[in-house]
Amino acid sequence: MRKRSFVHLFHGQCAQLRLKVTTTANVVLLLLTFFFTQSVSAQATHTVKGKVSNAKGEALEGVSVTVKGTSIGTSTDAAGAYTLQAPNAQSTLVFSNVGYAEIEMPVNGQASVDITLQIGTADLNEVVVVGYGSQRKKDLTGAVSVVNTSEITKRQTTTVGEALQGLASGVVVRGGGQPGSEARVEIRGLKNLSGTNPLYVIDGMITTANRDFNPNDIESIQILKDASAAAIYGSRAANGVIIITTKRGKKGPMKVDFSAKTSTQTTPRWDLAGKDEFVALNYMAYDNAGVPRQNLNLNVNTDWQDAAFQTGNMQDYNVSFAGGGDNGSYMVSANYFDNKGTVISTGFDRLSFRVNSQGNKGIFSFGESLAITNAKSDEMSGNPYADVVRLLPTIPVYDDGNPGGFGYGNESMARTFGSNPVAMASLEDRALENFRVRGNIWGELKLRPWLKFRSNFGYETSNDNYMYKRKEGNWTLNQAYDPAIYNENRGRFESLLIENTLSFNQRFNKHSLNVIAGQTYQRDDYGQIWGTKRNILQNSSSGAYYWVLDQGSEPQTGGFLQKGILLSYLARAEYNFDDKYLLNAVVRYDGSSRLGRDDQWGTFPSVSAAWRLSNEEFFNVKGVNDLKVRVSHGQLGSSSGLGYWDYMPVINTFSTIVMGAGQNLFPGATQVRLANQGLRWEKLTQTNFGVDATVLDNRLSLTAEYFIAKTEDVLTFMPILMTTGNDGGNPAVNAASLRNTGFEFSGTWNGKAGRDFSYYVTANVTTLKNKILNLGYGRNNIFTGTTVTEIGTPAGMWYLLETDGLFQNQGEVDAYQNKDGIVIQPTAKPGDIRFVDHNGDGQITNDDKVVLGSPWAKWELGLNAGASYKNFSLSMNWFGSFGSKVYNGYRSLVDRFDDNSNYRAGIKPWTPENPNTDVPRAFYGSTLNSRGDTDRWLEDGGFFRLKFINISYSLPDAWVKKIGFSNAQISIAGQNLVTFTKFDGIDPEFNNASMFERGVAGFQFPNLKTYSAGIQFGF
Amino acid sequence: MKQLIKYVLAAGLVALLLPSCKKDLLNVENPNTITEEQFWQTEEDADQGVNAAYAMFYKPGGWSRWIYFRLDLTSDEGCSKSPWIELADWTRFQYVNYNFWEGNAITWRDTYKAIFRCNQVLANVPAIEFADNTKKDLLLAQAKFLRGLYYYYAALMWENIPVVLDVSKPDDLPAQVPVAQVWAQVEKDFSEALAVLPVEWGAVDKGRPTKGSASAFLARAQMQQHKWPEAKASLDYFFTGAGAGKYNLTTSFQDNFTHTNENNSESVFEIQFSDLNKGGDGDDPNQNMGHNRAQFFAPRGIGWSDGQARYWLVNQFKQERTIANTLDPRLRASLFYPALEADFGDKVYGRNWEWGGDEAWFRKYQRDYFRSNEDYFAQNNVRLVRYADVLLMYAEVLNEMDQTATAAQYVNTVRARSNIAALAVGQPASLLGKDAFRERLKVERALELCGESVRWADLKRWDDLTTAAKVAVVAQRDPDFNNFVVGKHNRLPIPQTEVLNNPNVVQNDQY
Repeated sequence: MRKRSFVHLFHGQCAQLRLKVTTTANVVLLLLTFFFTQSVSAQATHTVKGKVSNAKGEALEGVSVTVKGTSIGTSTDAAGAYTLQAPNAQSTLVFSNVGYAEIEMPVNGQASVDITLQIGTADLNEVVVVGYGSQRKKDLTGAVSVVNTSEITKRQTTTVGEALQGLASGVVVRGGGQPGSEARVEIRGLKNLSGTNPLYVIDGMITTANRDFNPNDIESIQILKDASAAAIYGSRAANGVIIITTKRGKKGPMKVDFSAKTSTQTTPRWDLAGKDEFVALNYMAYDNAGVPRQNLNLNVNTDWQDAAFQTGNMQDYNVSFAGGGDNGSYMVSANYFDNKGTVISTGFDRLSFRVNSQGNKGIFSFGESLAITNAKSDEMSGNPYADVVRLLPTIPVYDDGNPGGFGYGNESMARTFGSNPVAMASLEDRALENFRVRGNIWGELKLRPWLKFRSNFGYETSNDNYMYKRKEGNWTLNQAYDPAIYNENRGRFESLLIENTLSFNQRFNKHSLNVIAGQTYQRDDYGQIWGTKRNILQNSSSGAYYWVLDQGSEPQTGGFLQKGILLSYLARAEYNFDDKYLLNAVVRYDGSSRLGRDDQWGTFPSVSAAWRLSNEEFFNVKGVNDLKVRVSHGQLGSSSGLGYWDYMPVINTFSTIVMGAGQNLFPGATQVRLANQGLRWEKLTQTNFGVDATVLDNRLSLTAEYFIAKTEDVLTFMPILMTTGNDGGNPAVNAASLRNTGFEFSGTWNGKAGRDFSYYVTANVTTLKNKILNLGYGRNNIFTGTTVTEIGTPAGMWYLLETDGLFQNQGEVDAYQNKDGIVIQPTAKPGDIRFVDHNGDGQITNDDKVVLGSPWAKWELGLNAGASYKNFSLSMNWFGSFGSKVYNGYRSLVDRFDDNSNYRAGIKPWTPENPNTDVPRAFYGSTLNSRGDTDRWLEDGGFFRLKFINISYSLPDAWVKKIGFSNAQISIAGQNLVTFTKFDGIDPEFNNASMFERGVAGFQFPNLKTYSAGIQFGF
Repeated sequence: MKQLIKYVLAAGLVALLLPSCKKDLLNVENPNTITEEQFWQTEEDADQGVNAAYAMFYKPGGWSRWIYFRLDLTSDEGCSKSPWIELADWTRFQYVNYNFWEGNAITWRDTYKAIFRCNQVLANVPAIEFADNTKKDLLLAQAKFLRGLYYYYAALMWENIPVVLDVSKPDDLPAQVPVAQVWAQVEKDFSEALAVLPVEWGAVDKGRPTKGSASAFLARAQMQQHKWPEAKASLDYFFTGAGAGKYNLTTSFQDNFTHTNENNSESVFEIQFSDLNKGGDGDDPNQNMGHNRAQFFAPRGIGWSDGQARYWLVNQFKQERTIANTLDPRLRASLFYPALEADFGDKVYGRNWEWGGDEAWFRKYQRDYFRSNEDYFAQNNVRLVRYADVLLMYAEVLNEMDQTATAAQYVNTVRARSNIAALAVGQPASLLGKDAFRERLKVERALELCGESVRWADLKRWDDLTTAAKVAVVAQRDPDFNNFVVGKHNRLPIPQTEVLNNPNVVQNDQY
């Protein structure tokens, strides 16, 4: 088989869970209970009432009202009202709410304190979720980004990851675009050599926010970026943590929200030669080579991009119902998402439901989140983005002379091995469907106002079904015969999470202490069965096939199981003195079943501290509202990217042989893949320095961070020698160590002009450098085809032959000699590429390759800006990446003339009449000018792109109320509409998953241009 | 106090759900297969280990696909007009990217992958207790034979390579040795196998190597080193040794290439292909046991046509007719060529000739004898050594030992099967001396064995590639040899990553 792939989904299987009374835990609980019972004693109190509203005068519910310096507090009801008992009439109240600026208000003996909260100009007062608890953003000591959720829900994307692009500093997102595909998210650069995806925590369930997850359900997103922030999540947090909290109901009557979005999508297209230009160039290449021209069919003029691409669209309908009473609340949502792809015969649809509810009785409260989703994608066959380039304009889409009826070239008239994308779309059908249930339930006992015990049980399961249907017929020249084939696999994934935490929260005068300790257990199971049959039954009159595994012949079956367990103990202490000095310490003890039996456990501590200078007496700088410096240092363990049993060499029992006249079948068994036993934790040590400042009347907030992240014992599948005979993937090894250093800056300016106009601008700048400190197996470098990874330099540097223009005449060829007078390229002709003879040996060989640049961006920029005027608002997001060298795989195909593909429109190869060009002479049948391992294909990979723009209009309240709504908004938006780049492909924002070939732009699915319109209303 | 009791009860209930921190909770056994530690215990394990080494014949770097490009197409018998230029370049001495997977690296990798399997058997099986030690020795001998076979072809292709004899570890950086040491290892493996292997296997095991197989390969290795007396001694097995009278040429020449008459009287060693599994070529369940040669070598419009035959072969066949004054019947079975239908009445996969007037394709191992298309699951065995080859080898060895007159009879046997007159009658000039006889043998071998993966070794053994003048003669038959640089292209470049990543390996000279 030239190409053959089965979808392999991951994950595990079931084991018996042993339960046991941990008497120690009980004793500790009791002791704690007795010890702290007496801390707050009753005294003369003062009752305060009041109402909290926003600038429009609307009541705000759920606002936290606390007495400063105590743990006394409450929250406002649906009418914005609150009542609390302050310790005395001179107490100070603190009002805080997500999205609003915190306000401190002295009671001054009043019985009623009404407050108007302003939209959070300085979002430092936001409360952020930090894992097993929350903190005010201004109390953070680690690196945490809070994503503006309203920006996410405005975007039309399939997954959350895709929507995060440019919204937080240090977070890079690539990929997506293809229906049902998932984007790659990378937080603060390359930390290891096996994978970069961060950990997702959705409502406390440790999982992935894959395509099954409905982004409309998101209430808030926090991104934990450094080791001290992420440490509480331990071993899977080395790549950072994205914490997603979904919407929950609030006290009050039922609120209904409805939104609908519809979008049109177009794919960027290659700029390829039309028929006449192709024909002229093709003839030129054949003529120069002295090869008889092909008998091109000049009557055909196919635009393969027209044949393979279509205008896609997306529809996204979401409705939610939320409400609650004194003792409970609920939120129910339903979503239908449908995406017709920009490549023919591709699509994705998702149907999802969610129920979030919570309740409380006395000291007990509980909550649950439950999401049920069915997602189905009609997957792309082959790679049309490459095939439209490889196919010639003189090949017709349909050709009755071929089996199956499609055109794909002909040996004498159009030689190419491109595959006809229309034929593949018609003859092959791939679909992947997942039915997923994901939920968790938690219970909390408030043993004392300052002591809580919480248990969280999460469960997730999915049924995955992949179907591959192959009809009889051909899509490429000289294709091997295959009958109708049906392959199907079914898998079941299951993940169980059990967590128990005890948290302690107390204030003593100016001291505040939060302590949490607990345990977490997660088990993943996956099992799959698959079957394939050939010669599937066909209805001779209708031509339809019967796609069931009962039909056909030559059965093949298989199946496998996966199972992994993580068990951890964690503890965190947060100490705050007078809001000036903040200290945070975390320790985590992690055990993983994926590591060598003697190395399963690791202890990972981290500590962080912050000093709020602005609260010091001596600090009196005009215009500075808040100033905090912080430092953190922590260690995380990671086993991410490891397979389930990579530490154990196993026997492959799948080979069979035949012997004898009767074709007697004998089984074989042998070790195929080598293994390094004793795999141990990869350790990430990260130091982070940060400054947060809010200045100019809270209008400008700034954050700057510098970090050094060093990863040791990196678990990597480092290439080993082929002389080992290893196959089935390189063995995992604790091999390299590498360092990332980076600087992140984020600044937001909020401005107002007049009464009706306000605006904001946020800029995120990230610079990042990675450096290899050490490589495994005692090696100094790892070479792949086009790159080298060496100690002391970044990973995957370009390692290529250097070109030096073209030879213009025979004299230049003859004169190109080394110091000994050897003609370096004696067989070259005018118009051929001159290569640099770096080792001076008088010939061009692999030894002349040198390092020619880095695939890594020097800096990246996210720019968010928005403005509102009366009921109109505008927001946009720009993303830029600068300073990388990338390899243009597309140009290495269309700018070569040795092979038959289509050519780049407007290309002018060297001829004696056209000497001023960097394109060598067109020459069919010789790779010497078109070899892939040269810097001819390197380009500046920088770009600056308008990722998103949105204009929305809120219907005037007066109208809205008349029709019984509480709010209504219409909006139009666009994604990826404008790009500035010198890169000569269809998309500079490409994703290459290979760690060693990060900058190779092949034929990856591009980012699409999307135009959407939406309405949203609530009542 | 009542409250407190409530809390404690509640807390206790919750604590019930805490999973224990028992150490072995994390010890999750792999439910999918046995570990390496648990293997190599029984006779059955040993059996299966050896079988897995045979299964390497079905892998694409070797005998299911790419090795034919190295041995047949690179030689002057074949060429590639593939539109996949890089693939074609690798059959005409235009090696640019030494890591080119299909042209070089995969064959290198699969060679060592097979050697790794043999080494596992040779390292682990000796410690296994057998009821009958003869069986153990037979298994070890098979592993040695297979390892010898892989090193034999590796020596032909790359010459100076690392010789790995122990079970591999991930951090191995094995040292390269000069080709003479590789040959020494090849001879050692074949000799040790020869001592143990049987003269014949029972019906069920037919296809495993015999004393004849090992003798023939040992002789080949010796002949490549011009060790003529040693080679003669090895080949004597077929004429004066235990193998005498065991082998006969088949009546029908074509029977040596189809799936209908496998392991016949002429078979000395052949690879047992089958279409029982129509899976992929990875190490997965239902892996393919067929070869892809037929799909890759079928004419354009039928298969990939990445390889075809040089037309001089057609002319060569037509230079000498049978005693009955008909065309050499081997032409019909060996090649597709423009006049095939006119000469023998055969169409090409049922088609009229629609290709170039000076083009030809190999017909051996193609399956047009029973189907009109090709796929990746060809079941016809590839004969690595036929008795006809042994006869011609013996003749060559005798001639080199100045016994030309004795040598002629063995060539005549081969000619006679195709009803061609004896040399004395048909080619009397060839008997005039050692050199004349050798030149005639070169033709005889091409006529009998073209497309059977022996020509590259032949050209090297005959020293036809050692001077520019000799290469020029070869280039008259195959213009690809105009690119041939003496002292360089007689072996492939070692995959560049293997050179760069292993300090104990240097690239072959001139690359």
